[in-house]
Amino acid sequence: MTDASSAAMAKLVEVARDPRAYIQRWRSDHPDRPVLAILPMNFPRELALAVGALPVIVQDDQQPVTEGRALLAEFYCGYTRNLADQVATGRFEVYDALFSADHCIQLIGAADIVRSSKPDTTVFLGMFNSSMNDSWASTRVAEMMRRIRAELEVFTGKAVESDALRRSIAAYNTDRRLIRRLLDERSAGNAAFGPVELQDIITSSMVMDPGEHHALLAEAVAGQRSSERDDRVRVHLSGHLCHAPRRELLDVIEDSGTLVVDDDLYHGRRYASTDVAETGDPLAALGEWYARRNVTIPCPTRVQQDADWDGYLLRAVQGSGAEAVIHLMPKFCEPHMLYYPELRKRLDEANIPQLQIETEHEGIPLESFRTRIEALVERARRRRPAHA
Amino acid sequence: MLDTVEKPAEDKSNRLGITRVGGQLISDYWEDLFTAREQGKQIVWYNGGALNPMFQAAGLAWCHGEAFAARLAAQRLEGPAQLAGAEYGYNAELCSYSRTHLGCSVLTLQGTEGDQTGVVGAHDQEVLAAKLPAPDFFVNNYAGCSTGQQWDGISYRVFGKKLPIFNISHPFLWGNKPDAGYLTGEEWEDASKFVAEQLRTLIGFLEQQTGRPFDYDALSESMTYIKRAAELRREGLDLCKAKPAPATFWDWIASVAPINFLPGDQALVDYFAAVRDEIQHRIDNGISAVKDERYRLYFDGIMNWNKLGFLSRKFAEYGVAVLAGRYIQNAFWQEPQLIDTTDPILGMAQHYLLCPTNHGAKTLEYLTLRDCEEYDLDGLVFHSTRTCRAFTGPQRLLAKSARDKLGIPSIFFEGDVADASFYKDGLLEGRLVAMLEAIDVRRRRGSLPAEFTGIA
Repeated sequence: MTDASSAAMAKLVEVARDPRAYIQRWRSDHPDRPVLAILPMNFPRELALAVGALPVIVQDDQQPVTEGRALLAEFYCGYTRNLADQVATGRFEVYDALFSADHCIQLIGAADIVRSSKPDTTVFLGMFNSSMNDSWASTRVAEMMRRIRAELEVFTGKAVESDALRRSIAAYNTDRRLIRRLLDERSAGNAAFGPVELQDIITSSMVMDPGEHHALLAEAVAGQRSSERDDRVRVHLSGHLCHAPRRELLDVIEDSGTLVVDDDLYHGRRYASTDVAETGDPLAALGEWYARRNVTIPCPTRVQQDADWDGYLLRAVQGSGAEAVIHLMPKFCEPHMLYYPELRKRLDEANIPQLQIETEHEGIPLESFRTRIEALVERARRRRPAHA
Repeated sequence: MLDTVEKPAEDKSNRLGITRVGGQLISDYWEDLFTAREQGKQIVWYNGGALNPMFQAAGLAWCHGEAFAARLAAQRLEGPAQLAGAEYGYNAELCSYSRTHLGCSVLTLQGTEGDQTGVVGAHDQEVLAAKLPAPDFFVNNYAGCSTGQQWDGISYRVFGKKLPIFNISHPFLWGNKPDAGYLTGEEWEDASKFVAEQLRTLIGFLEQQTGRPFDYDALSESMTYIKRAAELRREGLDLCKAKPAPATFWDWIASVAPINFLPGDQALVDYFAAVRDEIQHRIDNGISAVKDERYRLYFDGIMNWNKLGFLSRKFAEYGVAVLAGRYIQNAFWQEPQLIDTTDPILGMAQHYLLCPTNHGAKTLEYLTLRDCEEYDLDGLVFHSTRTCRAFTGPQRLLAKSARDKLGIPSIFFEGDVADASFYKDGLLEGRLVAMLEAIDVRRRRGSLPAEFTGIA
């Protein structure tokens, strides 16, 4: 890596690890423009950027849940409890409003905490139809897209101009494409970027202005050389649908004798999976993007009879040459808990070793995980041909 | 390990006698469902709002997933289904309604395909799986809770993606607009029309499945009975504002199943008329539901189904009449005036939207505080329902509102809808006693003791 690319990568890492510092810098550079808290997983940030806002997907800041414990039950997922804690302790003050488009009852519960704690702040839920095969789904999504646009216009006092929206779409597409290129290269055999680096790249993309992010990422990538996979057991990471797994867990996964070659994590391939069409009506294109995302990589938070996460996973494993799958299931994530047996069944049928790790917001038993991952590595190694 | 103490030495509860009749109606309903296949009926599995009048009019037999899980839990027969679900891969922290029901699906499939795993004994399968007939198709009607919609999506997969499924989508009544409120505002009107349109599409789906034209007259007739039963239920609930209380939350819990999924017919109306009449009789004759009533409380949370009798006795032991709760006053055809029996579709849609997990906290605060005032309640008990994130989400906010706006205290205890292992009796016992002492202090001083800030 050159000095310039190292410096660019370091900036991305810095944003990923401390989004609030980036937001404060951005705010001082753009004093008249709002910063929006966006909840995962499907909000069309392109619309917000088109009216001059900085739409930041709120990250689990990995701090222990303290005062937030008084606001949400301990059996809510770690991400939503962390959100409640950010609100309770003033760490949410960097945002001017909250926008969300997803029907997850735990995310909605956390949004209600924001609304209750900050009654003068706009907290908007523009819920997309989550049953994708409904005959009315596309009409409803298009209608909701218009409502989101209207709400953003009211909030910012600026109209969403079609040209600005097209530029915004293009900016996010450009950034996604570069991220996707790195992910594709990884699954094709290039081991230049490890899972923590890729997570930092994607997390920073969720926080930053897309143009700025792309410029830094392009610089970081320019000095990167290809690197061959080594002999470690190739694994696919699956799960974590709306917040990032802990970096120390990713480190332990690779330290235990594995090499991550692909994933379907939100802070991974899922985030960058699908581009918005740059021709035609841009608002309609955003609605189509929402629908196609769930076909590209099906998500168990959506209900779609003709899109199978298990089938996708199997194809991804075959495509990348992964020898095993590690399911990273955030504790209390109901869609993942519901779908997991289908994943397990499908991989069992294909004779692919797998391991489920239930992740918690605090107190991750890393050494216990290490032992289990090492056992998975042994199982996978025994399946290798004798001459390999 | 279960942490449940033995039942109180003296039972101070005085439950309504009529609920035994309700129990028989429910039992008859299930027995009828268990033999539906032999009767040549098609069977629909559904979840969420009470679509049974639709199915009744279409000549179907219907199985409400949550109701079946609740029934198993109430009869303490949930274990085998939950074991089967666990072996299939469902995590113990997953909604225990869905986990139990999906376990039944697994058992039902094993029963029909002869694929024995050895986890569940033949006797258990006979009792459970063999009794629940496999579905011909699914209909999902879940408002509020995202898990509810996903649950049927998974049932569809467990059954091999071979059965038809119809989904009804419900906008969450979040309240984005300034005019949004309970039963009012543009958002409410839009959502009502949207769900009503879907119900009309559902009718086409049912016609396709049954091969028969839908009987709109039968729907009107069924909804006429249901509307009358719901009115009688509301009259009975209003009578419970009397002091001392003639009936409690627990009596109404025992009457959830009839209003939630029994056929709309004269028997349903007769049942709720009898419930109301028994309550009126008690008022007329000075008969109270709790011996020596001293406290009146609110209960927030879905019922802990395997603790119904136990909890009614426990609260009564301390002179507590539990009188209102989100799961009773604000659920189950609770606004019968919305139903136009000549064209009931819109009113039905609105009731599905009024699921108590489909409101933002602002509306729930309005409903909860309203009921606390109308029933002149001293405090709130929150059933922190371990595997139900939909119900528990706003509970801390509601407790705070009750304290800040009404000056009344709250406690939380942990339990679950259909998994007894989450219930901690010691916690409820200690916290309930502490809250009752705080209420005594409030009565003497006019305010809660400073040190009582709610016990979570």
